[in-house]
Amino acid sequence: MPTVILLDVSFSMCRPVPNIGGQDEAENSSPLLRKDLAALACCQLLDHLTLTNKLEFVSLVIYSSLYEVVVGFTRDYNSIRKAVMQVGDYDKTCLHGALQGTVLYCKEEWGNNMPCQILVITDGAAGVGQSGYLRSLTGPRAAQNFPLPLTVPATLDIVCLASPDDPALLASLPLYQRYVELNGDGSVHVPQGKLSKKSTRDLMSEVLSSQFSPYHGVLRCGNLSTNITLAPPPQPYQPYREVGVTNVRETMSKELLVLGFLSIVDVSSPPASSRHLLLPLQHKGEGNSTSSPDGAGSGDEEVSADEGKIPSLCVVLHGGLKKEGKVALCQVAPNWYGILYSWSDNKKKSNLLLSIFHPGTDVIPWLGKLDELGPASCLPENPYTDPDALPPFPVKSGEKRSYNQACVVWVRAGGLQSDVQKILRHARKLPDKTNSFYKELNRVRRAALQYGFPSLLHGLSAILEREVLSVPAQAEAAIQLQHACAALMACAHSAMDPNVTDNKHHSNIVPLKTNYASHD
Amino acid sequence: MSSLSQKTVFVMDHTLAASSGVQLDMESFCKPRLSGSGMSLPHASHYIPLLPVDKTIWTCAVEAITEYCRIVWDIFPGTRFISLMSIGGGAVERLSSWHQDQSLNAIMQLLMVLGPARPGTADLLSGCLAALQNLTEVTPAQKLQTQPVGNKGRVVVVTKLHSDDEARLYYQKFCDLVANVNRSVDGDKVPIAHVQLVLLSFIGEKEPSRVNNGSLSGGGSGVSGEVVEMQCGSCVAAKLCSLVVRHYNLASTTVTGIPMKEEQNASSSANYDVELFHPAEAHAATAGDNSIRTTRQDTDYPTVTLKWSTPRTNASQELHQCSTAFRITSVDVNSRPSSCLTNFLLNGRWVMLEMPKKTPTQHTKVMSHMLAAHGGDIYIHTLLTARTVLEDPPSISEGQGGKVTDYRIPDFAQLIRANMLVPYGKNGPERSREQLDRHTKHFPITLSQTTLFSIGPPIESLLKFIVQSELTDDEVLECKQVIFSLLNAEVQGDSLNTSHIRTKGLKKEDQYKAMWKELERFLLDHNSSANHQKVYECFLHCHSKEPVSAYDSSSGASNQESVNIDQALEELDAAVAASLPRHGGGSKRHHANETSSDGSKKRRVTQPSITSSTSPSVTSGMSLLTIMMQKIKSSEGKCLPFAGQLKAENNVTKLYANFQKEKDKEDMSSRRK
Repeated sequence: MPTVILLDVSFSMCRPVPNIGGQDEAENSSPLLRKDLAALACCQLLDHLTLTNKLEFVSLVIYSSLYEVVVGFTRDYNSIRKAVMQVGDYDKTCLHGALQGTVLYCKEEWGNNMPCQILVITDGAAGVGQSGYLRSLTGPRAAQNFPLPLTVPATLDIVCLASPDDPALLASLPLYQRYVELNGDGSVHVPQGKLSKKSTRDLMSEVLSSQFSPYHGVLRCGNLSTNITLAPPPQPYQPYREVGVTNVRETMSKELLVLGFLSIVDVSSPPASSRHLLLPLQHKGEGNSTSSPDGAGSGDEEVSADEGKIPSLCVVLHGGLKKEGKVALCQVAPNWYGILYSWSDNKKKSNLLLSIFHPGTDVIPWLGKLDELGPASCLPENPYTDPDALPPFPVKSGEKRSYNQACVVWVRAGGLQSDVQKILRHARKLPDKTNSFYKELNRVRRAALQYGFPSLLHGLSAILEREVLSVPAQAEAAIQLQHACAALMACAHSAMDPNVTDNKHHSNIVPLKTNYASHD
Repeated sequence: MSSLSQKTVFVMDHTLAASSGVQLDMESFCKPRLSGSGMSLPHASHYIPLLPVDKTIWTCAVEAITEYCRIVWDIFPGTRFISLMSIGGGAVERLSSWHQDQSLNAIMQLLMVLGPARPGTADLLSGCLAALQNLTEVTPAQKLQTQPVGNKGRVVVVTKLHSDDEARLYYQKFCDLVANVNRSVDGDKVPIAHVQLVLLSFIGEKEPSRVNNGSLSGGGSGVSGEVVEMQCGSCVAAKLCSLVVRHYNLASTTVTGIPMKEEQNASSSANYDVELFHPAEAHAATAGDNSIRTTRQDTDYPTVTLKWSTPRTNASQELHQCSTAFRITSVDVNSRPSSCLTNFLLNGRWVMLEMPKKTPTQHTKVMSHMLAAHGGDIYIHTLLTARTVLEDPPSISEGQGGKVTDYRIPDFAQLIRANMLVPYGKNGPERSREQLDRHTKHFPITLSQTTLFSIGPPIESLLKFIVQSELTDDEVLECKQVIFSLLNAEVQGDSLNTSHIRTKGLKKEDQYKAMWKELERFLLDHNSSANHQKVYECFLHCHSKEPVSAYDSSSGASNQESVNIDQALEELDAAVAASLPRHGGGSKRHHANETSSDGSKKRRVTQPSITSSTSPSVTSGMSLLTIMMQKIKSSEGKCLPFAGQLKAENNVTKLYANFQKEKDKEDMSSRRK
């Protein structure tokens, strides 16, 4: 999930942090400013990501009364560290506009459906006009005035670098809380105790563990298993979002269970709610946060050289799936499934990708119910090995759709005309087209009865009578046409008479038998 | 799914027998023929002109309602329910229910039985009452719901209204009915949480408008209403589409630039457009982008125009990244371009749709959607078009285990093939998990972790059979034969044909030791049935782990045993020479004898118990083996079977099969040096 650091650079960030003990004064010639703490907080986030999820995209947006994207979404965290140290000081705060801008920027970059993680780092002073914003967010049009899109589950975390008893913070908290409340996901973070380097660090650790913790799970394929992580970390599934309604959320379990295998052709590009790279988890313990980012980088290569030689289930699974052109069906939670397959961004690098479906068992209609899939080898006829067996997929839906059958639609201009014309075309080619003629005639006859339109049968009969005149009297064509006319008239009369209940007129008109010599 | 559209009752006024004013000119059908066939036009005037055919309002209404149902059931089969009622002169007739007749063909049949409109006065309110009672009954989908959600629905009254006052009056009475019905709900029935009354008023083609379209207000929180007037004739179709798009939250996509051969001139092709309906979520990714949306004059919904992109043939062989897939239906289903497109898709081809993306600097084209048929239904897939967080992923070879080169990928591929899924039934997942568990009970993922699985063909059949949950007697026999042949190879001093790192440098005997140890574990792990036990016992016999047979003496008697084996092999040679005259290999045989006697000093050679393998079931089937075994048994009573015999295909065995391989290996190694 891409992360936006929304950094407050209003002038109030230049306020010094009130000194508690005074012991640092001797060492530091310049006092500690709030923006220094903000920079520390940013770096702490980036260090955390370096260790846990190096594939995360991060962007730095600064805001005061205006906002500016300083560093676009990147995995190069050093460029953000550098930028954080160099931001200037601007005028007053306006979080509302910054949020609007951030959403626009995320949409432009990732499209409408990608959830983003927004981390606001501010001094806790919402500034001039905050009461107005708060009013607009509590009124009946709160949803419209709320800058974040409610359709995608973005998280909004507001880190306030202010002492809990700061009057400016106390004034701003209701607005911040309303933002978070409307967004549904995230929270407002305030340090414990007086503002200091230590309390900032503690605060950020709490934020990181609640919102930026990586996914650690187990991939299980029968008796084989391995520890894995997913990038980006999977989010709880939320179907629809309505203001003020807390939906039941589906959360992924820590165990991915391979149930069996399916062909790529059979799964047929199923819709997925999210996609994640499945990476083997390094066996070493989680790195401690004290290691410097540079040190972590160099240590990393060492690790990969060793780790590369430890066999991993992921690699053999990837190799098998790629070789066979198959996908592994996985259960990611009760009633929630996904597929695991070899995927490559370009030709050279391929990796294991997990596509998670929408929760439920009936989400891919052409695979049938996912909780009713079982081993092919247990069937009397294995469709994968027995050449005579019917292919197992796609699972057919019961009814044929209208475009897959000859349905009659007369509501649109031309529908009825072309159906009548078709009958006439066949009528003029009698007796060669006898069967087609009666087939079309019956189709229209049936439709006329269904639409409560028996007068059409009269009209049709009249046209066919006219056709009789243009063919020789004793020709087979004339005989068939006369037979059809009579049958249509009888049908029409019977349909119009409310007292007729035997429904004989519902049966098809059959061709008149003219060749008595034949035996069929 | 607690939307109003989950269930809809149509209450149809069967007394709309008046003419709609829509006429079908029958004379027009005859004209083209006369001019086309070259007959003189004046001739036509001899005929009495044909009378035009009039549609009744009922016919126009039924045409519209069935089209509404067609669109709904094409896109939401089994999830949105529609039932029909007709009100004739006095009586209310329930035509269909939630459980039956949820398809176009079925309701067409019902309407045929109902027959054309009959004049009379319809009691709309009793129809509404019946409809509301119908709404209190649960649909199959509601029955499956675990947690109760609001029972919402829609009542569409198809009639002819004369004034706005009449509409309001009906609405007020309808609200009262809702309250009454909810009060008297009992048994399996559920009260109505919300119901929308749609008064669909059909008027004749030339009649002036009588009511204003719009919503009806009042009536409390559980009821809403709207009035829609439709003038019979050419504009019904467009109005109806607007209605169904609004009711079911659909969106329209126009596929443009479909190349189609001309009917008259097959060599040229022209481009056509086809309009499709599908749930609006398929366009969620483009929400807000109005540059690709246009609204036609006669409709009140926008359509997104996407360009046909000539499909590649192998598009269906790949996995495309899709976020959604929804069923579609064509708006004008019987038009030639529509049926061309749908038939193309039903034949298994996939079509990519291009969205023109206008950026300030350039016009780029993005594949935004895909049309594909699965199991007879056509779907629109939404492809991912934006930047993805998965860009520039690391390669699997860069991660953990990426540098290991001896993965058993072919064997894992075999495991995949053996664990393919099919629609199975209720206990499917348990069965497949149980099978996968069994197949992976003993599955080293690299060759260096295993000796057993690196031997290859000689042991393949045993590995395949043992992982099964049950073994047949024939399979037991084959497994035993594999064990014997391995034992024989060991006795003869053939080195194990294993290429993996761990045992490569080892001596032959250590290779065998490792293999036997792993085989024992493998057999023990899978020892789940009586027949598995037989194979395991056979293994134990072979290794004197259990003094079961009289011939299995203690390990101290190895010298004597080896003599026995030597004797046995000589016998075997004689038998082979007799039965396979082609093989004049008596002299070569001695080589084996020498090695085995050498080897026997170093390792414990055990006496396989012949009795265990000559089960009665075999005597008739395998002639040569049986004959030989009987011969050996009669002369010696105990002996090793001839390995070649066990491997024989059509009684022909290639001797020294490993000789060439070893030679190759030597060549290889010498070349490497």
